[in-house]
Amino acid sequence: MRPSRLEIQIALALALAAAVPLLAALWLASRLAEENLAFGLNPRVIASLEANPGLYRELFNARKELYGEQVRQLALGLPSELAQVEPYLREALERTPRLRGCTFSGADGAVLAEAETDQPNPEGEWRAAPARATLIPSGAALVCTFAIEARFFADLDEVRELAESYQGAGLLRADIQRSYVGAFAVLLMGFAVAAAGTGFWLARRTTRRLGAVIRGVRELASGDLSVQVDPGGARDEVAGLARAFNAMVREVRESRDRIVYLEKISGWQEVARRLAHEIKNPLTPIQLAFQQLEARFRQAGPGDPELPRLLSETGEIVREEIATLQRLVEEFSSFAKLPEVRLEPAELGEFVEEFLRTSPQVAETADVELAKATAPCPVRIDRALLRRALANLARNAEEAARPARARLHLAVAREGGRAVLAVADEGPGVPAELRERIFDPYFTTRVHGTGLGLAIVKKIVLQHGGEIDLSERPGGGARFAIRLPLSERAAGAGG
Amino acid sequence: MPSSRCAVAACAALLAAGAAAAPAPAPDPFPGTVGVQGGRLLVSLDLASAFPPSLRKQLENGLTHVVAVHLSVVPERGQDPLAMYGREIEVLYDVWREEFRATVRDSLLPAGRRLTFPDFGALLAFLSALTGVDLCPSAALAAERWVVVARVEVDPVSEIVDRTRELIAGGGSPGLLSSVASALLHAPVRGPGARTFRSAPFAARDGAVR
Repeated sequence: MRPSRLEIQIALALALAAAVPLLAALWLASRLAEENLAFGLNPRVIASLEANPGLYRELFNARKELYGEQVRQLALGLPSELAQVEPYLREALERTPRLRGCTFSGADGAVLAEAETDQPNPEGEWRAAPARATLIPSGAALVCTFAIEARFFADLDEVRELAESYQGAGLLRADIQRSYVGAFAVLLMGFAVAAAGTGFWLARRTTRRLGAVIRGVRELASGDLSVQVDPGGARDEVAGLARAFNAMVREVRESRDRIVYLEKISGWQEVARRLAHEIKNPLTPIQLAFQQLEARFRQAGPGDPELPRLLSETGEIVREEIATLQRLVEEFSSFAKLPEVRLEPAELGEFVEEFLRTSPQVAETADVELAKATAPCPVRIDRALLRRALANLARNAEEAARPARARLHLAVAREGGRAVLAVADEGPGVPAELRERIFDPYFTTRVHGTGLGLAIVKKIVLQHGGEIDLSERPGGGARFAIRLPLSERAAGAGG
Repeated sequence: MPSSRCAVAACAALLAAGAAAAPAPAPDPFPGTVGVQGGRLLVSLDLASAFPPSLRKQLENGLTHVVAVHLSVVPERGQDPLAMYGREIEVLYDVWREEFRATVRDSLLPAGRRLTFPDFGALLAFLSALTGVDLCPSAALAAERWVVVARVEVDPVSEIVDRTRELIAGGGSPGLLSSVASALLHAPVRGPGARTFRSAPFAARDGAVR
């Protein structure tokens, strides 16, 4: 999933916010490394460490000289009698510090006397340090083994390793500083990346929920009033926004339901009123004619010579009003049975020409003028329904022109990628304040109108995916403009 | 001095990298011979002049030192080496026994050979003599002209860098910062005390050249 702009902005903001203190920390790290290295890799310290093996060398030399001197002294004190040598050596072992063994051998190397101690060395672990004295002129030799502390060698190894390490580090001091600063920079960069990642994660948590709200708003805009957004378990502003959105949708849905219900009731009231009115109109003359006939009959009796004429007039009135009622019923029935459209390709100009050619009643009641566009207007229409719409508009023009003969101006054109069929008359027109309601069912401005004709026209146009509007014709009269979508091929051709 | 146990091959690679990267000072006259014998290119060197006068004092200070000698056969016009050889001698003066102990490593003895020298003279004689080093078959020289480059360095920087990396890393349980710093530690491949010798150009048909 691609990161959103907000997520990127938040991550960048965090990275930038972290960059300044990190750069400062980097500078401090550089200074700290420099000072620490200056302290830890002090040349005097390193020189002292390097000198340590030399000190041990001097120590060992001193011991060697000491042991050499001691063995010389022991050799000088050797008894002349061989039998006394071993006791002498044992006594020497007891009184000479660190002396662990003595061997007295002749000039031929044969061991003449020897002694060694089995007492533990008071100074702990030791290594053997031999010392030799040769007696002149006999050639006999006294070899003594002295103890030298083993810890000296361990300490020497340790101090040597330390000196070698620090000696190298001292040579690479500048490189070490650079490596520490580099390491610090790498780690700081890692922390900055982690901070940016955390920011991105946090931003995604928020933007994901904001995205859900946006999708909810879009669904609401498309008319889905059942949409709800999950506010999640958080208690932040985004969750509040989601809850507020849900509450708003619920209120809108409830308001719409109320409005729809009230509109339905209002519509039924209007239907009832109109029906009552339409039925009452023919009933009243029937009632009056019948009352007049009945009164004459009671007054004059069956022999009244006027009675046949009166009866004939009453019958005529009743038949006429019954016909009105039948026409009313037919129109209502027709409106109720308006079928679904079945679209098929057609050229709008040709369709209008065909309509005029096959509708002689239009030419009988009106002077018709047709203006066709030069470019073709291919559309998809239900011919029967659109003929009906045209017929209604023509009848509307005819009735508007009464008692004069109507003049009907038909025009077919292309406007803004749509096919436009305009039907205009030269009647009185429709007042501007009534134009919005003129297409409402059962709304009419005429005494004998049912208010269904234009409602049927609008329904048919809408079923074609089109629009219809009413405007004032230049020069007087009403102008109905039906806008239909051009068929895809024509629209794609840039018509 | 565990860092000195680096492979000879790695040192040879360092030689090649150093020859390619750092601007080398003008090489000294070649202190030896280059020749073909038995179908092999052999090099013999007397490196006594390659060592500084202070070498004795330096080696007798009781610390471990490394004397590295690297040889390479490169085209006269200088490109990638045809063959390389590296020898490292780790020297420690034993202040108790008062003798030099040395461990010699090269491509033939990567594990090392231990030697003892009773005095500096014997040690210097050993360090200086590099006899009959077999660099490559002479057939590999083809018709081109080549030079042998010898580089001698006491306590090479690469050794010091390795040792210092271990010091920084802190041994068994290094910290994060120290570990990264140790990994980032770099230093010039060529140390200031390194001496470089370059033989006269030769071809396989030339025989021995100085």
